[in-house]
Amino acid sequence: MDDKFDGVARLCDIEEFLYEEASYLDRPDLDRWIEQYTEDGTYWMPAIEDQADALNHISLFYDDRVMMEIRRRNFVHPRAASKDYKVRCSHIISNVRIAEECNDTGSLTVTSNFQCVMYYHDKQSLYAGRYTHELVTIDGGFKIKHKRVDLINCDGVLGSIIIYI
Amino acid sequence: MSYTNSEIDKLVTPTKIHRAVYTDPEIFDLEMKRIWGGAWIFIGHESQIPSAGDYTTLNIGKTPIVMVRDKQQQIHVLHNRCGHKGAKLVDKPCGKIGGFRCCYHGWTYRLDGKLLGVPHMAGYEGTGFDKEDPRYSMQKFARYESYRGFVFATLDPSAPDLKVWLGGAGDVLDNLCDRSPEGEVEVAGGVLRFEHDCNWKMFIENLNDTMHPMIVHRSVVDAANEFIKTLPEDSPHRIEAEIIPPFGASYENFEATGITGFPYGHHYDGGKSSIHSDYSVDPDYAAVMIEAYGEERTREILTFNTHNTLYYPSLTIKSAIQNIRIVRPIAVDKCVIETWSFRLKGAPDSMLQRTILYSRLINSNGSMVGPDDHTAYFRMQQGLLSQASDWVEMHRNYGSDNDLGDRRTNSGTSDLDMRSQYGAWRHYMLGEVAHYG
Repeated sequence: MDDKFDGVARLCDIEEFLYEEASYLDRPDLDRWIEQYTEDGTYWMPAIEDQADALNHISLFYDDRVMMEIRRRNFVHPRAASKDYKVRCSHIISNVRIAEECNDTGSLTVTSNFQCVMYYHDKQSLYAGRYTHELVTIDGGFKIKHKRVDLINCDGVLGSIIIYI
Repeated sequence: MSYTNSEIDKLVTPTKIHRAVYTDPEIFDLEMKRIWGGAWIFIGHESQIPSAGDYTTLNIGKTPIVMVRDKQQQIHVLHNRCGHKGAKLVDKPCGKIGGFRCCYHGWTYRLDGKLLGVPHMAGYEGTGFDKEDPRYSMQKFARYESYRGFVFATLDPSAPDLKVWLGGAGDVLDNLCDRSPEGEVEVAGGVLRFEHDCNWKMFIENLNDTMHPMIVHRSVVDAANEFIKTLPEDSPHRIEAEIIPPFGASYENFEATGITGFPYGHHYDGGKSSIHSDYSVDPDYAAVMIEAYGEERTREILTFNTHNTLYYPSLTIKSAIQNIRIVRPIAVDKCVIETWSFRLKGAPDSMLQRTILYSRLINSNGSMVGPDDHTAYFRMQQGLLSQASDWVEMHRNYGSDNDLGDRRTNSGTSDLDMRSQYGAWRHYMLGEVAHYG
């Protein structure tokens, strides 16, 4: 009974963390968002289903902290024409599951489904797919070591994607 | 209204273009018929269909096409339409088949498009229908040819040979292939398809527009430089730090790279130098190149440094980076730009990885470069609906192009590229000679 209760509490903590990360993208607030990542953290949006490799196959995004830092500065640059328009998002995350957990290191892999409604330049778009978060436990809290975003239309014709999803 | 040739003639002068060229759906339809129906259009690369029965599909304008390899290893470019009721015969991006078979009534075709079988033929007896009539086979393009693996096709039976049409601009396709120690490239690493809310010409007019990078891409260059400054001096080397900052190169720098224009609307910027010239060379790559070609020839290959080369109207390549972009017009205010990457056969994996990195960093829908260009394009598309002026101007360095016979050259910040393109535009739309300005 206790184990089950612990398990539910654990899942609640994880969900809470995923919601928090998503809330920074809703606004979007990249300064706070980056803080959710480890120093060696990466963000990946593949361009095909089940993409195995980010180096030998094209992706829509594949950023480490260096690229996140550049993107964070670019996002608020007054001369970035594509950033002249407000971006507002609403992320809904569900079907959260722990796919893998390592008790020794406190690291775990969490999968979830997401829908992100994005409003940008007078147009509302819907992105949907699956998140895979590799989380590590640091000082009692979570950090993201790797986030993978598999859009269901990753190999379709897409417009500009102005912000991380 | 429908345009007469004398009305079309008035839409483009050597220094200005009427806004209707970008905004009028009738002009778009005429362009599809006359330019896209007259020029050699890039269809694909032979490496996409290595064995018999392999096919790849695409659209040219609204026309569905299939490129397929037959059992004799011959490549065919066919209209993807059943001779019976018109259904597309294959409808995946690529695949492998023994022959074509329509999903509707089961008509079958050989890999070269010839009609083979029609079920229950008895009903056709005495009706005048003849299965051997080539009209019922899959229709072939008037001509298709391959140049070093790059397959082009044209609907115009009287088009010049592909090699003549490529002219001096073909040097850049050669350079792309020569950068492989085996002299061959192959498609690798997937494709990006980026929808653009603009006329297709706005994209190709930007390729050698060297007056925009320091404005449009200033934000990504600033962001990168600002962050690089915060890094300790002994930080690991990043290829990104070679790729991003040159987008902020000065006017003088771009001016010095030069633009070279050719008949039929092709052109490139750079040659001796470009924004790609200062990339570091992987020593393992240099070693296999020198082994294959010797030092002098290797130097010659690697120092022919163009930036963007346009094969008007459908294909643009970056030989120094080994990626290409393909133009797919959809409507007067919509097109899709595809980005493909190439592997240099016999080169270390690091070369393809650099190509992939470049495509992601610069050309991806999620990049910090492509979306800023795209913003400029759709603002032009919307701004040109204004009746404040009918004209778009292209005066830069007009009257000073150097005519070298088979090509013209001018400063890297000139509008020579625009004059080359609109020479070709007039050529296809009006049947003129394809040099202009």
